[in-house]
Amino acid sequence: MKGLWKYLSPFAPDQSGAAAVLYGLGGIVVICDAGGCAGNICGFDEPRWFSGKRSAVFSAGLRDMDAILGRDDLLVRKVCAAAETVNAAFVALVGTPVPAVIGTDFKALCRMISRTLNIPALAVPTTGIGYYDDGMQAAYNALLPVLAQPETVVERGRAGVLGAVPLEMASPDEQQALMEILHGEGWKQVILFDCREAYEQAGRNEKNFVVSPAALEGARYLYERFGTPYEVRYLGRPLPEDIRAAVTGKRVLVVHQQVTANAMAEAVRNAGAALVQTAGWFRTESSCIRPGHVQLKEEDDWCQLADNDDFDVILGDIYFKRALSHFHGLYVDVPHFAVSGRY
Amino acid sequence: MMMEYKDTQPYAITVGDLVQKGKDHIPEELLSSKHLIYNSPAALAFNSPGAQGFGVKRAGLSIPGSIMLLIGPGCCGRNTTILGEQGGYQDRFYFYILDETDIVTGRHLQKIPQAVAEIVESRREKPSVVMLCMTCVDALLGTDMERVSRKAASVCGVPVVPCYMYALTREGRKPPMVDVRRALYSLLEKQPRHRRTVNLLGFFSPLQDDCELYPILRQTGIKQIQELARCRNFEEYLAMSQANFNLVLHPESWLAAQDMEKRLGIPSITLTRLYQVSQIHRQYMALSRVLGAPIQDESWLEQARQVVEAVRARYSGTTVAIGGMQNGNAYEMALALTRYGFTIKEIYASLSPDDFVYLRHLAQWSPETKVYSNLSPTMLYYEGASHPVDLTIGKDAAWYHETAAHVNWDDDIQPFGYAGVLSLLRHIGLALDERGKNGR
Repeated sequence: MKGLWKYLSPFAPDQSGAAAVLYGLGGIVVICDAGGCAGNICGFDEPRWFSGKRSAVFSAGLRDMDAILGRDDLLVRKVCAAAETVNAAFVALVGTPVPAVIGTDFKALCRMISRTLNIPALAVPTTGIGYYDDGMQAAYNALLPVLAQPETVVERGRAGVLGAVPLEMASPDEQQALMEILHGEGWKQVILFDCREAYEQAGRNEKNFVVSPAALEGARYLYERFGTPYEVRYLGRPLPEDIRAAVTGKRVLVVHQQVTANAMAEAVRNAGAALVQTAGWFRTESSCIRPGHVQLKEEDDWCQLADNDDFDVILGDIYFKRALSHFHGLYVDVPHFAVSGRY
Repeated sequence: MMMEYKDTQPYAITVGDLVQKGKDHIPEELLSSKHLIYNSPAALAFNSPGAQGFGVKRAGLSIPGSIMLLIGPGCCGRNTTILGEQGGYQDRFYFYILDETDIVTGRHLQKIPQAVAEIVESRREKPSVVMLCMTCVDALLGTDMERVSRKAASVCGVPVVPCYMYALTREGRKPPMVDVRRALYSLLEKQPRHRRTVNLLGFFSPLQDDCELYPILRQTGIKQIQELARCRNFEEYLAMSQANFNLVLHPESWLAAQDMEKRLGIPSITLTRLYQVSQIHRQYMALSRVLGAPIQDESWLEQARQVVEAVRARYSGTTVAIGGMQNGNAYEMALALTRYGFTIKEIYASLSPDDFVYLRHLAQWSPETKVYSNLSPTMLYYEGASHPVDLTIGKDAAWYHETAAHVNWDDDIQPFGYAGVLSLLRHIGLALDERGKNGR
């Protein structure tokens, strides 16, 4: 039945993706919710929250009367009060279902905050309905025009990596591995867009690498504004040798975000798989989509595709396996934090 | 990059100053409705109760054999992944994920009965009840979920009960954790009451097995003591409507008790969880008067007094920080431990006017104790290392003071009465002795 999920829990929502991009940039991030959404972001979708590296992520603490009466002025007062103690470079408002339903005017809120505090205020109008990659894309779209400073000098050997937030990672050390790969290729500086300076100086990058479809629009923006070339590329760990051996001659299904799925599919094909199919729940970019890629929307879509023996091997987050009681092949866990909330 | 701060001090106020201001002038920094809410890692259970402890989702599944359909945008069910994986609830949660069209047109209301029927049919055993968990979206849409539940029940042939995960109403008249308790008992139907039967209301887990409340109630002639968490099946749950009276052990059960009195004619008596031995004794004496039956608690009282004296002799002067994320009222616990010889340096907890009954006494014993709000944005600056303590109680306090001895005191099994005091003091002793062994 459309909308009914019996085996899987929902994936990381758009507001978590937005908050992941905004994390640690030196701004005040206000999740415009009643409390639960911010709790889920910090407690579940943001592993950096427990790392000791603090970030000013707050809940607006909306209450029923705020929603009924539209007390935007109260929210502005709360934000301004917080800004009295946190030396913020900007304020970012992140949407949730509550402002989506009551039709909050984020533009007006930003204008009021910006005028009062004299710092940029931006809004990421997420709704809690989309997936994390929608929120990531919206956050890049909101941040880059505001923070990126006019730059004319490109630094040779300086590479930017867009999309490398924990939600997209398969392991906690994947960012380190990614940097090692690029350093090994001769890039002197690898910029992960995890601090404000990276955005301010984005025009200095010689090249940007895009590891998530959610970051592609951001890379295009930087190309149009600064002429920075970009490359969509998987920079995670290669497929282990034993898995390569296991897929030879087999029918293989890869389910992941598109950049990772494409890379895995290519590795599997090179390892001699008889058939390789990709599928995914998240954003697809027509420029890098694999022929025959299956876009999943409902849990039923997943069951129809994989809850059978049409494939011998499935590569994907182990969490998906919960819905596959009729699949008898080999399931290889390729963690995706945005799916299972664990590495 | 680290945040830059204009100020370097988190907001704190001493108990003495708080009492001087009075309960009608609580500083705004301590009132969560007056400021942005900081999601301190220490206090996540406040904003994400589904991830820790009992939130509406987990609480809503307290009825034996029940399952839950959560209806909301995907974000509302996100942390249920961890609840399912770690809490053993994996096959009891279902989701109806709302899309934009559902929200705009309300079409999901037509589909819920069908969804419930599909879920019930897909299970090997019929559930005892299906809980429909609503979220902020339906709160704002003004959905009549009672009606939807009745329709769903008629389609699937199983009781269907709505419960409300409306964080928007957290500080309202019926906060989510109050209303979910009401919902849990809403299936009980009036039946003849048994004079010697009592319900314990308040918790989603049972009281500790060695709690003296059980034998004390038996002293008064009670034969049957019923708790939701000890019901092994739906029939035992339904038998709770036979109780002669309810003992309300947690303030968030007031609405459930009121509803049971109105619908089932079951009156209630309130008992408070306390850690002051003398007050526990007084409370039992008051219960004795209300029930018109003698209560002999001297043996437990004496044992508790002896343990308190031993603790005082051994640990007097130990510095303590008490958090709000534990099984007790932080202010009452601070008062009790101060009376037992501990030095309470800091408290991190929500504050309500009701807490001043403890604060007034605490101000006489320990006026310099500082009160912080976990939720204040200024807690970004809090560094426990700059004012260390020997012992923390509560997970939040432990987060702030990494090197102290820790007593999380947040187990599902609920401490109560003298037994609760003894358990707490035993855990404190163990934690401090362990820390001593480690040479810290």
